[in-house]
Amino acid sequence: MDIFTTFDISASALKAQRTRLNTISSNMANVETTSTPEGGPYKKKSVYFQTKPISFKEEMDNSIRGVEVTKIVEDKTEPKKIYDPSHPDAAEDGYVAMPNISVLKEMVDMMSATRAYEANTTVIKSAKRMALKALEIGR
Amino acid sequence: MKPLDPFDSNMKLLQKVMDLRSTNQSIIATNIANAETPGYARKVYEFEDELQQALSATPGKLNTTHSKHMSFAPSSFHTVTGKVHEVKDTTGFGDENSVSVDMEMIALSENELLYETAAQLLKKKFALLSYMIQEGK
Repeated sequence: MDIFTTFDISASALKAQRTRLNTISSNMANVETTSTPEGGPYKKKSVYFQTKPISFKEEMDNSIRGVEVTKIVEDKTEPKKIYDPSHPDAAEDGYVAMPNISVLKEMVDMMSATRAYEANTTVIKSAKRMALKALEIGR
Repeated sequence: MKPLDPFDSNMKLLQKVMDLRSTNQSIIATNIANAETPGYARKVYEFEDELQQALSATPGKLNTTHSKHMSFAPSSFHTVTGKVHEVKDTTGFGDENSVSVDMEMIALSENELLYETAAQLLKKKFALLSYMIQEGK
């Protein structure tokens, strides 16, 4: 455990939150995408967070952990159906399968990611101040 | 403290405090980093009571009448390591994560302040030592 452990922990969190924000922006961008190379409408993606050991030494001591995105999962809920016979992706009955994304939920998730990111930058700032204070000893 | 020992035990104590506080900071950083990890149990690092006990313990509760006798009292704060314990989420709803970011932020700033206090005191002690070395000039 050294002075940079805190930086490593918070940096892992910043990376994870950034991945989450990327996923959210992907969802927001594809809120009306009705066709994908895999077929069917775009499906909502969400990140899966898991604790992550910072280094081998910290792996022994399980109280100091970072965080990482281990997988990005697809939401399996049914696509929303909208009646629009003129749409190129409309089925025979005139309904179009739209992505299962709620813009409102994505916005809330985005705010939450931003706040988590800010919290971690605060920790980094605090760690930096502490390290500088320690350097002042004897000056 | 011996009269001619310029590095009194308080200096070593402050050193120890800074060490423990720095570990505490990593633990708090872990909690904040995992504030949204499902199933994560908040970790609390406790060393204050242990340190207090080590400081207030009267050494030699068992008489040491021979140089090879050992005392059982935790006579020295050097051995204080602190303990980490987990606080699980018992609310029964949500993702079983027990971290509350605002509580952690308070703990973070409190820890930082106390660390800086120790650093400041240590700095002053060295300044005093330096003053003494330079014959009060």
